[in-house]
Amino acid sequence: MSNLTLYSVSFDLVDAVLSAIGSVLPAPLNAWITNADLITGLAVLVFAALLLAASMLNTIMLIWWERKLLGRFMDRRGAMHVGYAGLLQNFADGFKLFRKTTVRPREADPLGFVSGPTAYMVTSMILFGVLPISSGWNSGALPLSLLLALAIFSFAPLFIFVSAWSSNNKYSLMGGMRSAAQMIAYEVPLLLAVVAVVIVSGSFDLTTIVYEQQNYWFWGPLFVALLVFVAGMLAEMERIPFDLPEAEAELVEGWNTEYGGMLFAFFMLADYLRALIGSILVVLLFLGGWTMPTWVPSVATSFPLAGIFWFMLKTYLVFAVFIWIRASLPRVRTDQLLRVGWNRMIPLSLLSVFLAAALVTVKCLPVFGCVPSPGI
Amino acid sequence: MSEMWINMGPQHPMTHGLWNLRVRIDGEVILDVDPEMGYLHRGIEKISEDRHYNEVITLMDRTCYVAGLSWEHLYILASEQALHIQPPERAQYLRVLCEEFQRIASHLMWYAAFVQDIGLMTPFLYGMRDRDLILDLFQSYTGARMTYEYMRVGGVRNDLPPGFTDQARKVLDWLGPRFDEYDRLCLGSDIFHKRCDNLGVLKANDCVRHGVTGPMLRSAGLRRDLRKDRPYAVYDQLDFEVARADTADVTGRYLVRMEEMRQSIRILRQVLDWLDHHPGPVLAHELPRWLGAPYAPVGREGYLLKRHYPKGVGFSSIEEPHGEAQAYVVNEGGEHPYRVKFRSPVFANVSAARQYLIGYRVADIPPIMGSVDVCVGEVDR
Repeated sequence: MSNLTLYSVSFDLVDAVLSAIGSVLPAPLNAWITNADLITGLAVLVFAALLLAASMLNTIMLIWWERKLLGRFMDRRGAMHVGYAGLLQNFADGFKLFRKTTVRPREADPLGFVSGPTAYMVTSMILFGVLPISSGWNSGALPLSLLLALAIFSFAPLFIFVSAWSSNNKYSLMGGMRSAAQMIAYEVPLLLAVVAVVIVSGSFDLTTIVYEQQNYWFWGPLFVALLVFVAGMLAEMERIPFDLPEAEAELVEGWNTEYGGMLFAFFMLADYLRALIGSILVVLLFLGGWTMPTWVPSVATSFPLAGIFWFMLKTYLVFAVFIWIRASLPRVRTDQLLRVGWNRMIPLSLLSVFLAAALVTVKCLPVFGCVPSPGI
Repeated sequence: MSEMWINMGPQHPMTHGLWNLRVRIDGEVILDVDPEMGYLHRGIEKISEDRHYNEVITLMDRTCYVAGLSWEHLYILASEQALHIQPPERAQYLRVLCEEFQRIASHLMWYAAFVQDIGLMTPFLYGMRDRDLILDLFQSYTGARMTYEYMRVGGVRNDLPPGFTDQARKVLDWLGPRFDEYDRLCLGSDIFHKRCDNLGVLKANDCVRHGVTGPMLRSAGLRRDLRKDRPYAVYDQLDFEVARADTADVTGRYLVRMEEMRQSIRILRQVLDWLDHHPGPVLAHELPRWLGAPYAPVGREGYLLKRHYPKGVGFSSIEEPHGEAQAYVVNEGGEHPYRVKFRSPVFANVSAARQYLIGYRVADIPPIMGSVDVCVGEVDR
């Protein structure tokens, strides 16, 4: 079972279906339909479809997880009525938004108004093709997958600003400006925190980074980097305490004030896609990804899809921390946010880079053991 | 970004009601503000001239929908003075009970709205949850949760149901520790202090100049509370302290309101003890007949109009949860008040917006206006 990968699953699936069709077809068509190239091509498509379905399902489950957990923090129950414990509530909400008419203000720019949210969601979806979920459960060997992921991740301010500006609404514009300023300010410490991980692991490949952490999760020795990364991620995901681009108290709904129906659903979905990606990145970079330490009994790591199980468990727990933060902190102000970003986060992230370099030089720490590889 | 005017309202999450705050901004900095009121004007003072004294009470509940009983009390005090009626003592204690419970409920509503303004979701639900307990108490003795119509000229409508005081004490026992929890959620957070300290400062002399009263005035350091300075009902027999802060900012208003809720609990415990040991009538006996009979008997339209009652003028001022409310009732001898005039504390507090908003940032508007505790119903009347 250990060789079970997403690609092998989709390849076997396509192979079985096409062979079954081919067996009942006459000779020339038979040979054409069981052609290896065709099977490979279709397998890639099925692979992509499976990945998309899994990411969408997880995003919707993430919304459920947030609603339930937030409800418990607030002394209420969260969604309860649609499906068991409200599991289907978000699907119902999605269908409601799907059925609604998309209203576009007369003065809004049609191109930007529609393409902004679409591009925002699509770029968020692309990221799932880059992130490895378990051994073999990725789209292939990408030696610079971390860099690619962060590059795609940082597209967002552009599309948010485009959709905010084209809405032709003062609140949207202010929200868009805040969003762009905030995301660019927090991009820098975020990347510097990642540099610390890269120094220790010696690779930009997320799969390699995960395997480097087999017995040596980076959250302990690189604790400063983890703090900077989580804070930066909160700002990138625009969640409380950094949700001021859509601060509903003063900006109505920020940059998506004018959106309704499916375009609003795009924004909502993309927000949670990015939240999921943020949690996944924390797990991959600092919490050992899908691996468990070798001292964990093999029963816990050898059952089918054990890697995915541990990976998802860690991801949801990381997101639970984000929910906890949302339930207990007020919102900061733009100038305070930017001041913290430039004056505190960047020095801290530089410190984390320095610590990582020192760690690679020292190689061994008393509690955490030794760095597995020589590093860069 | 160049300067622009934005309309925060009449439909905007910041307003907590129906009014419009026009703001001129340069980027995020506020250059000028212009509060516009009047979207909720119902002409309550004019309607009152056309109603019997007891029928006006219905309007009082609608005047401020979060502090209905306080406004009933205000109107009742003025009209009793105008009509030369003395309510029994137990009724006065019941009114204080109403007013102090209403003060806690109103402040909890303020707390819920205010923390929502600075982005805290959890305490919002805590505040609403605990306010519900007080609404349950109101329901048990007035029959309603929002529009009570409980007070009457000359007393109150009915006495407390059996077992009420024990239930009320249980609620007070629950609320006390909750206020400490609220403080931990807000004051324990650095972000809260970053957002609220030195924000929306309105010094004491500015408060006095603009007629700003209530928690805003007390947060500026003035020990001004009508319950102490000009005691009405039975407040002179009760032991409590006036909440006060020195910072004159949003945090100061928060502290004042929190302390007021604690003092209200202290007052309520004394009132409940008194009510337990002093049974008696709750409505005056010597009321004119038309006060209890709002409709003329069929076929006798002139029955009610021919009364001749000594004329009089009534003025009352109470410490409403939002500030000092005043009422002026003129009795020209009929069964309708000849003229009714109210002074809304929030109207003065909001009118001074230019003093405490200019120079701050757009993101500061919700916490500052939240700390003012706007209730549009009583502003527009």
